[in-house]
Amino acid sequence: MVELLQYAKRRAGALRGDHATETTHGASAGTHLQLWLLVFAVVFPIAVALIVSTKETGVVTSLGDLVPGSYAVENYREALVDYRFGRFMWNSLAMSLVIVVGKLIVSVFAAMAIVYYRVPYKDLVFLFILFTLLLPVPVRFIPLFQLMNDLGWSNTILAITVPYIASATTVFILRQHFLSIPTSIVETAKIDGVGPLRFMLFVLLPMSKGVLVGVSIIMFVYAWNQYLWPLIIIDSEANQVAQVGLQLLQGDVQGGQLSWSLVMAGSTLTLLPPLLLMIVFRKPLLETFSIQQK
Amino acid sequence: MTTVTLQNLRKEFGDVVAVKGIDLEIEDGEFLVIVGPSGCGKSTTLRLLAGLEATTGGRIEMDERDVTGVEPKDRNVAMVFQNYALYPHMTGRRNITFGMKSSGDFTDEEIERRVEDAAETLDIVDLLDRKPEAMSGGERQRVALGRAIVRDPDAFLMDEPLSNLDAKLRIQMRAELARLHSALETTTVYVTHDQTEAMTLGERVVVMNDGQIMQVDEPQALYDFPANRFVAEFIGDPAMNMIPVDIEDGRAVHDAFTLPLPSVDEPASTDRNGAGDAPLGDTQRAVLGIRPEDFHLPDARSDDGLPRIDAEVNVREPLGDSLLLHCSIGATSCNIQAAPRTAVRAGETVSVTYDPARLHLFDAETGDAFYHSESHHSTDEQVLSRASK
Amino acid sequence: MSTREIFDSRIESGLLLLPTLLVSVVFLYYPTALAVRTSFFDSSFGQADEFVGLKNYVTLLTDSGYHSSLLLSVVFALVVVVGVIAVSLYLTFLIHEVDTGQGVYLISVIWPYALPPAVGALVFLFIAHPTLGVLTGPIEALGVDVDWFNDGPQAFVVVALAAIWKQIGYNVIFMIAAMNNIPDTLTETAELDGVGGIRRLVSVYVPIMTPTLFFLVIINTIYAFFSTFAFVDLLTSGGPSNATNILIFDLYQEGFSFFNFGVASAKSVVLFLVVGVLMFVQFRVTDEYSYYGA
Repeated sequence: MVELLQYAKRRAGALRGDHATETTHGASAGTHLQLWLLVFAVVFPIAVALIVSTKETGVVTSLGDLVPGSYAVENYREALVDYRFGRFMWNSLAMSLVIVVGKLIVSVFAAMAIVYYRVPYKDLVFLFILFTLLLPVPVRFIPLFQLMNDLGWSNTILAITVPYIASATTVFILRQHFLSIPTSIVETAKIDGVGPLRFMLFVLLPMSKGVLVGVSIIMFVYAWNQYLWPLIIIDSEANQVAQVGLQLLQGDVQGGQLSWSLVMAGSTLTLLPPLLLMIVFRKPLLETFSIQQK
Repeated sequence: MTTVTLQNLRKEFGDVVAVKGIDLEIEDGEFLVIVGPSGCGKSTTLRLLAGLEATTGGRIEMDERDVTGVEPKDRNVAMVFQNYALYPHMTGRRNITFGMKSSGDFTDEEIERRVEDAAETLDIVDLLDRKPEAMSGGERQRVALGRAIVRDPDAFLMDEPLSNLDAKLRIQMRAELARLHSALETTTVYVTHDQTEAMTLGERVVVMNDGQIMQVDEPQALYDFPANRFVAEFIGDPAMNMIPVDIEDGRAVHDAFTLPLPSVDEPASTDRNGAGDAPLGDTQRAVLGIRPEDFHLPDARSDDGLPRIDAEVNVREPLGDSLLLHCSIGATSCNIQAAPRTAVRAGETVSVTYDPARLHLFDAETGDAFYHSESHHSTDEQVLSRASK
Repeated sequence: MSTREIFDSRIESGLLLLPTLLVSVVFLYYPTALAVRTSFFDSSFGQADEFVGLKNYVTLLTDSGYHSSLLLSVVFALVVVVGVIAVSLYLTFLIHEVDTGQGVYLISVIWPYALPPAVGALVFLFIAHPTLGVLTGPIEALGVDVDWFNDGPQAFVVVALAAIWKQIGYNVIFMIAAMNNIPDTLTETAELDGVGGIRRLVSVYVPIMTPTLFFLVIINTIYAFFSTFAFVDLLTSGGPSNATNILIFDLYQEGFSFFNFGVASAKSVVLFLVVGVLMFVQFRVTDEYSYYGA
């Protein structure tokens, strides 16, 4: 308590600029300056993309050219319509939502079974699920490609969603969260004879809102940013996702048929959904990350 | 209207035996407190009663119905937890009704009526529309009690329900629980580690240690006639002094003193405590138990013909209502409770006497009590005469 | 002693686990097993598989191109991990030090978590483009001839920078949580002892944050090996002269440019071993720390 008071006093002193704390004050200004520079470096590339996406040609050879142009509406329209980015974005959105919703339901089920059921071999099952962390797409995409062809799923949304539905990470995070719900609450439910469905819908899920939002954002960002697998398994443009759509734009711009301002418009569009979700839901997202590490 | 019987109840967790075969009869409408240090098996016993743990051996009967393997929900008991166990996302009302609605045994009107009754009884009408986060600890525990009583269970099981409250609120809630029990008269089993709670709330108190029952008795009897060293030291604060002595010809002999042991008309306490009736004539090693408040400084009692014991004061602790002296009697440390403003200094040697009616002897090996200097019979008179003063 | 296992129906728990287990088996375990099997066969499009024993592995052992790709991946991972950890740690420290604007600083450096690698790659391609890039002019003014389309080491640096940039967000998220968990009293003790600035970071905070930093080293290593595919694909396509041909890109080309499924599968198995070892090390070290109660 005393420490807290002293701390508060010292901080207040620093704000008033008391001479005793001048050094800290000075260091703090330096800290802000360094932060400004680093933040600038981190934001700069994307700021350039944003500015260029509003220009006519996207020829920006010097820093002096970095002023917004007046072709924003035209460029974004062209990217969305003429270069089918609207279609790609929609495909990405559909893929991501199916993955998020599917993963969420399936993982809540699995975590519920692992935490709240007294059944044999449960730990073994959990290990079996955790072990899939060792099997990322690059380890198995060749046979997976053949499997999708055999199933006739190539080029469909099934191919880019179903293999992602099982998630060790999501099950793990949910399990950790469920384990943090006090046992006495669970036991109260048992004494009251609350059945599994009622327990899940009226106790478990309402008590997990933050984590459910957090893992949903993690899953969405992960799904939306998938590049390698859609590149391999989707080869019709109509079914393509935004990430690979960017690759198509890149081919065109390198070939000189396309202006960079359109590529930057496409990039900005592709960045927006995960970025906005992250900014809006940063609080539950950060809380969920702190569970993940445990 | 429920009696609960435990027969040879056992619970093992792997290699650890938490409850070592206990027998206990809980009477209809009784407020029974189980008290003991942490890890003594008291909570496990309660959880076995609730059905939250499966028994390893033995039987649990409620009203002569064997409920040993019965699901918790079919035992018709309600449990109150230390951390209240309220659903954080539900209002007080919904917390109270959620379990009832789950069971499907009650109509909506019935539930509504009972909630109103319970809210009135517990004075929580204002809390019904609030969520737990907007309630204080005491309010939360009241709502948790409300949830327990609306179901009109056969038994309340309470697991340290007051331990999360601050000292003042705890005393207040203690009185309220007592009031609630006298109003409802529902069989209640209450687990606590706090001996004051046990003594003040329990109609009978079970003292447990190491998975076994040490003694079951009314609070005052536990205090006056502890069946063994464990109970003697656990009940009472500051704890009873334990002084190693030799018994010779009806006297307790210590390096620093010799005191006569009044003969007892009833042989020592076999009736209630099951302690052995070893004859006091033989020479044997024993432990003499005297509570700190049963010592007196000489001016407190004038010439009473009792031997004086020299005690060297090491530390004095003024407690306000009394003065606690940490002393050495010979090589033995002892606590002596004196009148609050007694002029005694550390380093001084005082001459003390004792209450001859409050001596206890415990077997040096087993720790079982084999002698109390006063029989139960005479205690009652003593209580009366003290009360009249 | 208290328990959360309040239900005991085996059928219910089985049904709850079924979707996760089914997807895990069909789309994760089975393809992995298939990859192991194919690695012992001569296999490519439109021809019957022929069992060749260890021939594909012998090919890898003797292929100097693969060896340099392996070495390159290790160096690349090292550069990315060290770069990301160093930059993120310093950023986190600065944010931890300032009194005001923490929230804004935090969001402006963790946003790259949401950045799609494909977008990051295109933006980097644009700002560092040898002829058109905004940054090319200023850098050439320093006396460097920007020519990473032809210069291997330069290409390596560009890909590494892009990869580091994208991963800063994720790292700061975990580091700020760990740093905020350090008790204020410790910071104040350090200040009273005159341990300030960078020295406080290095000799007080870093040792306490070791478990988190270790976790991030592993995660970043896996990231550098597997999730940087889009950067390589869009920025350099593994070139020039294989200077950025890390294992994952090499594997992709083996499978989907040359259609040597047998050899590609053998390469998948090697990657699987890499993840396996990393995960194993992580579990071992995490265990060790938990003994110290960290």
